[in-house]
Amino acid sequence: MSRVDQCPSTVGKKDPKKDRASTVNGNAQKLWRSIDEYAAHDEGEFQSFLSREFPAGASEMLASSRRTFLQLMGGAMALAGAATIPGCRRPDHKIMTYSRNVPGEIVPGKALYYATSMPLPGGGAEGLLVKTNEGRPTFVEGNPLHPVNQGKSSAWSNASTLSIYDPERLKYPVFREGQGDSARQVVATWDDFRAWSASHFAEFDSTSGNGLVFIVDKKTSPTRDAMRAQIAARWPLAQWISYDPTGADNRGAGLRMAFGQPKRQILSLENADVIFSFASDDLDKGASALRNARGFGSARRMRTTNDHMCRVYAVEGNYTPMGAVADHRYALAPSRIPAAVVELARLIIDRVGGAGPLANAVTSFDTRGEISPDLREMLDAAADDLVGARGKAIVTAGQDLPAEIHALVAGINQVLGAPGKTVSYVPAGAEEARDGLSDLAEMIGTMRAGRIKTCVCVETNPCYDTPTALGFAEAFDRVTNRIVLSIGPSETAAKATWQLNAATFLEAWGDTEADDGTIAPIQPMIAPLYDGALSEIELLALIAEKRTADDYTRQPAGYEVVRSVWQGRFDWSDFEKSWRRALHDGLVAGTTYRGDNGGQAASSVYANISSVLASAAVGVNPSSDALDVVVTTNNMYDGRFANLPWLQELPQFGTTVVWDNPALVSPQTAKKLGLEPDPYTVKEPKAQMAKVTIDGRSVEVPVWIMPGMANNTMVMFQGYGRREVGVIGAGVGFDVQPVRDIMGTRIYTGAKVEPARGRYPISSTQNHWSMESRTSIVRAVDLPAYLRHGDVKEEKIGLYGKTSVLNFGEKLGELSHTPPNESIYKNPFTESRDEPKPGSAYSKGPQWGMNVDQGTCIGCATCTIACQSENNIPVVGKTEVRKGREMTWIRVDRYFTGSDMNEPGVMHHQPVMCQHCENAPCETVCPVNATTHGPEGLNYMVYNRCIGTRYCANNCPYKVRRFNFFDYATKKTKGGYRSEFPEGTPKPENINLIPPRLREKVEEIQKLRNNPDVTVRSRGVMEKCSYCIQRINAARYEMKLQDLESMPDGFFQTACQAACPTGAIVFGDLLNDNSEVSKAADDGRSYGLLGYLNTRPRTTYKVTLSNPNPRLRKPVEDPFHHGGDHGSEGEHGAEDGNGHAVFIDPLKKHEDTGYAGSLRVLGAAVGVHA
Amino acid sequence: MSKMLFPRWVNALPTVVAIGAVGGVATVSMGTWYWATPEFWEVGYMPTQPGTGFNHQIHAGRLGMDCRYCHTNVEDSHWANIPTVNTCMACHTDGKLAPQYDPGEKVAFVREAYAADESIPWRRIHKLPDYVGNFPHHMHVNAGVSCYSCHGQVRGMPVVHQEESISMGWCLDCHRNVEDNIVGPSKVTDLVWVEEHLKERAKGADNATPEAKRIIESLQNSVAEGGPQNCGACHQ
Repeated sequence: MSRVDQCPSTVGKKDPKKDRASTVNGNAQKLWRSIDEYAAHDEGEFQSFLSREFPAGASEMLASSRRTFLQLMGGAMALAGAATIPGCRRPDHKIMTYSRNVPGEIVPGKALYYATSMPLPGGGAEGLLVKTNEGRPTFVEGNPLHPVNQGKSSAWSNASTLSIYDPERLKYPVFREGQGDSARQVVATWDDFRAWSASHFAEFDSTSGNGLVFIVDKKTSPTRDAMRAQIAARWPLAQWISYDPTGADNRGAGLRMAFGQPKRQILSLENADVIFSFASDDLDKGASALRNARGFGSARRMRTTNDHMCRVYAVEGNYTPMGAVADHRYALAPSRIPAAVVELARLIIDRVGGAGPLANAVTSFDTRGEISPDLREMLDAAADDLVGARGKAIVTAGQDLPAEIHALVAGINQVLGAPGKTVSYVPAGAEEARDGLSDLAEMIGTMRAGRIKTCVCVETNPCYDTPTALGFAEAFDRVTNRIVLSIGPSETAAKATWQLNAATFLEAWGDTEADDGTIAPIQPMIAPLYDGALSEIELLALIAEKRTADDYTRQPAGYEVVRSVWQGRFDWSDFEKSWRRALHDGLVAGTTYRGDNGGQAASSVYANISSVLASAAVGVNPSSDALDVVVTTNNMYDGRFANLPWLQELPQFGTTVVWDNPALVSPQTAKKLGLEPDPYTVKEPKAQMAKVTIDGRSVEVPVWIMPGMANNTMVMFQGYGRREVGVIGAGVGFDVQPVRDIMGTRIYTGAKVEPARGRYPISSTQNHWSMESRTSIVRAVDLPAYLRHGDVKEEKIGLYGKTSVLNFGEKLGELSHTPPNESIYKNPFTESRDEPKPGSAYSKGPQWGMNVDQGTCIGCATCTIACQSENNIPVVGKTEVRKGREMTWIRVDRYFTGSDMNEPGVMHHQPVMCQHCENAPCETVCPVNATTHGPEGLNYMVYNRCIGTRYCANNCPYKVRRFNFFDYATKKTKGGYRSEFPEGTPKPENINLIPPRLREKVEEIQKLRNNPDVTVRSRGVMEKCSYCIQRINAARYEMKLQDLESMPDGFFQTACQAACPTGAIVFGDLLNDNSEVSKAADDGRSYGLLGYLNTRPRTTYKVTLSNPNPRLRKPVEDPFHHGGDHGSEGEHGAEDGNGHAVFIDPLKKHEDTGYAGSLRVLGAAVGVHA
Repeated sequence: MSKMLFPRWVNALPTVVAIGAVGGVATVSMGTWYWATPEFWEVGYMPTQPGTGFNHQIHAGRLGMDCRYCHTNVEDSHWANIPTVNTCMACHTDGKLAPQYDPGEKVAFVREAYAADESIPWRRIHKLPDYVGNFPHHMHVNAGVSCYSCHGQVRGMPVVHQEESISMGWCLDCHRNVEDNIVGPSKVTDLVWVEEHLKERAKGADNATPEAKRIIESLQNSVAEGGPQNCGACHQ
């Protein structure tokens, strides 16, 4: 909310209440972070909420009274006294050395990195480098050699180190038998299982496997394929069902329709000039997400004004990462998107011609209703653009859309000449092409009839993640022998007769195939933590192998299994050498497919598509009685990540909701249906419950508002509401399986949504850490403005004749209105970087700095998770987040633009971490010097000095400091995770208030995950981004050990920089003229956040660019447009009538008059701003 | 004559209270200053080591073994590692040492641990608090700070104890005056020489022997770089 503008010439000329723009925006649009911020009309409750250091309640201890507090504290002190006496003795620390077998490569204190790969859910893989400290995996980075990662990583792979140390993992096999009263459960050993399975599976030899079912996860792995072949060879009648619980692979099916054979699509977005996205989930989901994010980042990145920037159009129902930053976006109900695709195809084929039968098919396609004029105009303009950029254009559709539409999109791309340039196709496996959910539906009858004798679920959880309509859980009970291999507890494992504990991919051998066919080994970082745990391939190999009663304990080792499969697969002259090479590099060189154009003549592709297109499902316009419902996934995927608290507490894309999966609707729809949540200023805001009914299947879920969604559309997320998963994930959110149909369709039409009884608390971080009503936080301009002004610097004569030079990005903010700041307090940093005086900080490198290119940030928040992993940042739980106590050092702020809440323009993302100000406001207020400045420009935080006054957080304008209100890191915070207590019942006391001495510590096993180089913070201590100081120090030592003169650029990376899939974050030495970061910081687009406060932040941001089509929206070419006329609206770079200029913070109207007056005097005196 | 409200001795009360208060404050602060410090609590810490322990006086002193024979990683890693059982067995394998040198039963615990492939739970003596995320042994040793400066004359310790307080003030004392302790990388483990040399140096530049002067001069470059005194060098 814009309240502080220091331009003296317009003081008092505007009505502050009229203006609510949060940030300046060269495109003349106001920005807002949430519905509440949008709606806040006056300096009411919301304003005071925003200007608080921590949200209301954050510093509140107990809901009850002071008396309770005193009682608790009294008790705590008595105990503390009693317990101090034994505490005086120094505890005995043991040093356990290696004994006889010393691993030669381990140097205690030095981390080792090993290459491996992570199978992604639904197929595909990531190539990783895993950091191990004395043998325990602690951090994950992308493998620079792997074509998918190229050094980058995803939130899932970053969180994988957490899954291995989950204290609630299954630790040993359990055998159960009987039902009801006679049921019994015994802890077994793996040898018990091996003995039983040797004789049991031999029984199927006579029936060729009739009555034997394997239900496995959809994965791409050569060794698992080999296991499947082994099983099929032994028991030809055994069923093998490989399924992806989130639904059918529509894109794969569509490509099969178009090309006649299974194909995968590999996008090369980096080559694209024009991208058209139909609800594309390419940047955040699927096997190619990292590749696509990298390509997208590269296509959007403008390093200089000479670069080229691609243009993005999007038509979608809900925000996708690509749609959020698109230059033109149209919100359309999901069931209507097929009509838009067909319309675009028609427009393109009209322009290009040819396409034979496809032209007829699209012309005769029944779009079931009109396309709105706005959308038609956008499609028309986009068609011109796409055709104009033939060979550099790409159309892409989201996995949710029907298969026929994906076929059509392949056809459009063919017409646009995209194959071989912006898209290529590689062969897909036969198993991958099958729709596992329909296989399950086919099999379920046999299962229900009790004709399945043995069912082996290998790391799958069909009792939870299949549609309730399928009735799997009931049918599963009719199976005599239920063998379930699972890493953690699951709904299916709970029903198993043999519940087997699995090894994670960090503990076992295996292999993966990436989207482009690259084969990579999985090598274990550590032996299975729980003895005997088997991996998927080891269990399958055990079952597939014939064993007799005498040698039943024979266990095929994963290492041998993978090697023997590879020996058969690869024709290597020296197997051992090539094997070692593959392990070292983390991939098998030469296995990457060369993508082709689909291997079909264009004419036959067109013919194929035209024969199927007519059956594409397209809905009529939804209404408030018959909504469109999309059932899709987010970071939880199908629920397998539910027990990973990092992912639960990661603010979800678009909504910033944590620990829940409310159904999303647009503001207008919510209002119409009576589903609006409480405003945020209410003490514990709650969402309205709603009953969603689709074809008689119904579920009750809370509803959350998402601006920018299509009206009469609802989005729901799978993977929540798990019942058997462990204390973290159990009961988080709502299970939406009951509304899914038996085929697991993703888009439903005709849903009825009505308010249900009850309101439900939702924790969202969207209003947390507000930058105190300041302006010019996110700056965005249109491309032509940048091309025209980007390289122009403006010299300003300011206070006391000092001059300052403003670049393009800085001119967009208040610095252009304020006299240059002069700090009374002299410190070594308050001088020029270009001409440092001898002895000043800038005379000696390295001087660290960071730059974030907002133009390429897609808001994926992988940086947040990577930072959490690197810096031992604890999670706090849902109720604590609602109090504003989340600890993540990087927050990804989300801003909407535009003046229509229901149809906002762009969604901006801004990762905000400690800015490492040279004139740091936090340092001057710390009474104990716990936060100080280092000679390399770092703002240090010394935890043991901190006494928890929180003055620093109060004085930080960026709100990046996090306070440990409780012992989040070392004590169990159970009770903090769940809060769905029915209305009216008294809440249990905050468990965190029990004195730490009396509370349970985290399990020993969880401590293994911590990064040993970073202090684990305790209660009452402030913390914040350290620029990964442990990595800086380690790099400096390495530099000295290697006898290097200075640190080369890129010698090390911060955790966020290493993870960032689009490469938006750069870090390095500002004094090195050739470093990436100094180039970025000197770029015309870079500005310091809140630069006018003279904090001199070391982190700089690059102005967001958008590249609108002039036919659809005239780009703003002159974002400054200052003129001399201050009376009219629309000066100061914000020309939409809202402007951004408000001069006095209305909250502090009275106090600010002197300040504003002084500015006026100074301004007039030196004539800065006539 | 009216009766006094208070007896006469009350007149002395303010003086007594004032002296008592000053004395009390002084006692408490001096007590804190003396007792509540790492110097009092930490120095001299000498835990009982497993088995018969490890006699540094014999190994490093009489036998003259270099520190780095066992603490192998001290030049490459943050941590100066405690040797593996394997390292002990390089000499103490049964029958390897001549009978007159073989300690016999005294090393049985090492041989047993080796045979069972178990580690020996040595007790840690020098421990920095967890919030000191960073003490790089390799940087100190490579810069020419002798083991002696922090660990004392280990060559003379039958049972190792903590010699210095390793408090922050003590660390900074050295970082501010690196010339007091830098002896050059080649001499870091020659503890006896280092002790002599540093004593010589403490006499001051005028009184030092010519050899000591020559060494001090040769170390000018390392001294000039100095030790970092910023928080982030250790607290991470």
